[in-house]
Amino acid sequence: MEIVRSKYTIALITALALSAGAGCGSPDLPGPVANAKSAKAIREVLKTGGDEGATAATAATGTGWATLKGRFTFVGAPPQRPPYKVDKDHNICTEGGRAPLEEKLIVQDGSNGIMNVAVYLRRASRVHESFQQTAAPVVLDQKVCVFLPHIVAPLAGKPMLIKNSDPTGHNAKFGSFNETVASGGTREYLAQKESALPLGVSCSIHPWMTAYILPRENPYVAITKEDGSFELANLPAGEELEFQVWHESSAGASQALVPNTPETKELNWSSRGRFKIKLQPDEVKEIQISVPATAFTGV
Amino acid sequence: MLNRFHVSWQPAFFAVALCALAGCGKSPPPVFRLDMTNVVDKQIAPGQRQTVADVLEAMFGTPDEPISPQGSEIDVRKLRMAAGPVWSDEEGGKHGLYRRHCAHCHGISGDGHGPTALILNPYPRDYRPGIFKFKSTERAARPTDEDLTRIVKQGIPGTAMPSFALLPPTEVEALVEYVKYLSIRGQMELALEEFAFNEELPDPAENAEVRTAISEMLTTVVDGWKEANEKVMRPEDAVIPPAQRSPEEILASVDKGRALFYGTKANCFTCHGPTGLGDGQQTDFDDWTKIQRGFIDDLRALPDSIQASRKNLENQQGDERKNAETRLEEQGLELTERQLVAEHFLPHRNAIPRNLREGVYRGGRRPIDIFWRISAGIPGTPMPAAPATLTQEEIWQIVDYVHSLPFEPASRPLARPVNIGAVNP
Repeated sequence: MEIVRSKYTIALITALALSAGAGCGSPDLPGPVANAKSAKAIREVLKTGGDEGATAATAATGTGWATLKGRFTFVGAPPQRPPYKVDKDHNICTEGGRAPLEEKLIVQDGSNGIMNVAVYLRRASRVHESFQQTAAPVVLDQKVCVFLPHIVAPLAGKPMLIKNSDPTGHNAKFGSFNETVASGGTREYLAQKESALPLGVSCSIHPWMTAYILPRENPYVAITKEDGSFELANLPAGEELEFQVWHESSAGASQALVPNTPETKELNWSSRGRFKIKLQPDEVKEIQISVPATAFTGV
Repeated sequence: MLNRFHVSWQPAFFAVALCALAGCGKSPPPVFRLDMTNVVDKQIAPGQRQTVADVLEAMFGTPDEPISPQGSEIDVRKLRMAAGPVWSDEEGGKHGLYRRHCAHCHGISGDGHGPTALILNPYPRDYRPGIFKFKSTERAARPTDEDLTRIVKQGIPGTAMPSFALLPPTEVEALVEYVKYLSIRGQMELALEEFAFNEELPDPAENAEVRTAISEMLTTVVDGWKEANEKVMRPEDAVIPPAQRSPEEILASVDKGRALFYGTKANCFTCHGPTGLGDGQQTDFDDWTKIQRGFIDDLRALPDSIQASRKNLENQQGDERKNAETRLEEQGLELTERQLVAEHFLPHRNAIPRNLREGVYRGGRRPIDIFWRISAGIPGTPMPAAPATLTQEEIWQIVDYVHSLPFEPASRPLARPVNIGAVNP
């Protein structure tokens, strides 16, 4: 790897290291230090409490419902998917002696569709009645030492199930959760609050296993299928909607997907992988996003 | 740590000169620094970083003059005992307890990155995420005051964390309060940075909405600490093994524990190994290290990504090219910053499962300590909580087996006490 570093950076680091070694100065990494004056001003206003400007929860301003759908495609030759490095429980974690393939970036041959892109509404002012029906709980299974599906999006406050269909023990680890799921066992899990971005799920026993969990307070979450397509139906129409787009191998900060193409420029796609859109009642809006390899890492 | 420094003499000279200029006689008072790993990873803009630092100082003060944020119930008198420079008053009262006893390992901000951290194994704990390994509460809960007090007084066997049992109780209390303060401050920092990433963090002096958001963040963090006492895992009386048991009873329990340990219900052997030596799964890392590894992975991918962007530039014109050039510039800055931060990391070490034949238990050796470890797992590490299907009775059986392991002949091949026959016929 080529490292670009100026002489003075080296000097500064050496100076820091030297002064730390000599017992003076601070070995801390430089970073902003609070401005005493600003801090004092903020302290004063925080004392008076912040409640006078009570949070304006997203207010419903529109009526009717609309649909957003589309497809994410990869520009160029689909990247290779090496097999997972299975180093234990070979009889259980491989099929016919073959390890399952890595899921970091799945591009369909032919269509070039990108699977497992998460597209979701950041805040919903209202939710369509079709979501009120009690659906079967979301399931995260573990089979042939692979998490199924690769991304789960449970609703915060609704229980989901973590299963183990393998004849070996697994555990599921994400956020502050880490629990053994015995062979053939099922564990109910309840996400208390939503997460702005998906959290990585791992199994400490089989370190190659990875998945993502995205607990959300609104049901408007789509994960692209094998052909890269997604559909979000019954979205609130007539008001501004902001979507977050995320893919685990994105080069953007915290894996926000930032394709940087004319299509995304037209949508004012931000460097945080977000775009805003306003849909008319009963409108079906379709977006086609071609993603260059530069938007991903490790391609 | 990514690559060795290539030292040429010119900058080295400059460095020595700089150090001499700064002088070692009077060092400025220590300051709280931001968690640069998180700030750079989230690509938080410079102005936003400054606001995070300002808000934190507004709420928590400085290392010399700490403040207890409103509603936090942190005792300021205890904080003042623990904070500030080290000195003794005329009556022999000790001041600056944290810097006297803790900061050299745990760092001024509690980031576990004090000057001695590099030579310790395991590394000192980073308090800032609010995650503590050895505690009596449910996995996701904060520790109780009693948990922190126990660690300060007993130390952590098998690590560099010593016992402070000789300190007067008031001083231990002050230190526990200060650790909580650093932890709450660290959690607030992460919450503010999360907010700056997800939304925007305007100056709270001018924005009422963000003031509300900040007070909500603090409530969430502080409630976690207030609730700790309700989250203590209390075993059911009926299944707690009595203090007086016959050798046969103990043996029967150990046998059941052994079967569970090596079975697919409890799965202990998958990491602790087929003989309990801790050699089942040695390639994993703890959460603190995983964050840094993810950070380095992104750093390693950046030069390729920059090269690709540069190559791509040739095909672009007009606005599109301008856009791509700005992006390229940003990537260059990110690379420099990531390198600076990553060079500060301590070498990464694997999270090695405990060798249970040594009889050294970091979180305490009482049956209840092992019961808590198995029930909740060890937060921040690969050690998971027991599956919901495992009964408390079964957990106690595993506790018995774990306690018996160091006394098996295989664990002590040379010195074998004569009375061990009862446990290992």
